[in-house]
Amino acid sequence: MNIYQHIDFTLLEPTTTESEIIDLCVEAKNFGFNSICINSCYVSIAKKLLKFTDVKVSTVIGYPLGAMATASKVYEAQKALEDGADEINMVINLGYLKSEKYISMLQDISKVKQAIGTTPLVVIIEISELNKNEIIKACELCLESKVDFIKTSTGFSKNGATLTAVKMIKKTLKDQAKIIASGGIEDFETAIKYVEVGADRVASSYISGLKKKSQQLRNKAIFEKYMENKKNNDLISEPQGQIAYRKESR
Amino acid sequence: MKSLNSYIDHTLLKSTATKQDIQILCKEAIDNQFFSVCLNSCYVALAKSELSDSAVRVCSVVGFPLGAMSSQAKIEEANGALYDGADEIDMVMNIGLFKSQDYKAVVKDIQGVKNLMPDRVLKVIIETCYLKDFEITKASELVIEAGADFIKTSTGFGPRGASIHDIKLIKSVIRPEDRIKIKASGGIRDSKTAMEYIDLGVDRLGTSSGIAMMSNQTSNSDY
Repeated sequence: MNIYQHIDFTLLEPTTTESEIIDLCVEAKNFGFNSICINSCYVSIAKKLLKFTDVKVSTVIGYPLGAMATASKVYEAQKALEDGADEINMVINLGYLKSEKYISMLQDISKVKQAIGTTPLVVIIEISELNKNEIIKACELCLESKVDFIKTSTGFSKNGATLTAVKMIKKTLKDQAKIIASGGIEDFETAIKYVEVGADRVASSYISGLKKKSQQLRNKAIFEKYMENKKNNDLISEPQGQIAYRKESR
Repeated sequence: MKSLNSYIDHTLLKSTATKQDIQILCKEAIDNQFFSVCLNSCYVALAKSELSDSAVRVCSVVGFPLGAMSSQAKIEEANGALYDGADEIDMVMNIGLFKSQDYKAVVKDIQGVKNLMPDRVLKVIIETCYLKDFEITKASELVIEAGADFIKTSTGFGPRGASIHDIKLIKSVIRPEDRIKIKASGGIRDSKTAMEYIDLGVDRLGTSSGIAMMSNQTSNSDY
């Protein structure tokens, strides 16, 4: 398994600068990640940077609370497509779910789905705010709206993904939608575990990725290799360095 | 001086707030004669109808809490909220563009929303917890330049809320001819803190602790 192809490289902090977005795009391209996931104000800039690569630009809608009016979610999604987004991640209206206003919640998802047509729709259900029954109900409503992916978490709530929740969601979805595990997944070993229990993709934050990288750089051998690569401007071999580290650490 | 309740935007912004929670929020706001209720845009229409026979205003957040939504999407969210009956809009400044020192884009982001609502109150949240002192003053200048009505300190979703120091910094750049006001928000939980902000010249307080504050104040005065 090439875990890099399952990673959505994520940078959603409100303080994110343009230059951090550029770094994110470069890193995503070098690692060969599936996509980058960013706030909607940076979609057009990222699309320009990644135009001639296989890295997709994924953006968030109604994020991270999901409590934006439906019409505004629809508009934000449409605007993001116009700016070049390849995939839309929306947050469900948790308040509607908790109020048992299932029709309103369903409409909230369906209208975005309708507006974006064939563009993949990822729906974040924010499992840390839900009990088991609510997770199942949210999955059922997502299936009814024919969403493409269910994503566990925004990363802004108290907790992120758990292996148990992903297994349960997998059972509920019966392969009618795919799963993205997200929130608190900070290294490739953990990412692989999520893929093994049925997540199609894993979202991991840029910040934690970098933190991890700096930890990895403490390994002297890797650090030297990294510097050598950098000198040769060999952008491809850095991920290989990390694979090597992964083996060594076992 | 106005009484404490008339400074308060009675606030409920957590993602899991139910319809019933909003109805209770509105009733509390009526009973305590708060200035407004402050909520997410999906509940503006509901709050407006709950408050139809009262003087309590409806305030909706926009681009909340990250401020990183595209400018066009913020305009559309504000437009929808105004259509649903919002009297005031609290939008979050684009903090990332601010940190990128793209000040023109930050001002444009605010002006886009203000142009929709020349006669209604626009507050701009600068999220002081992410800003250094010189950035707080710079952000305040940009909000004034963009023609907004209030500088608001915090979303309540960042690492910290308002501080007295924040307010002093914001005040330091306001010239007498500026008609800008200040809203302190985030972490204001008791009437003593609230009064400190009011004494400093803050015009509005965003808090989820309005009810506790009022009872606290009453019990103090009884005593």
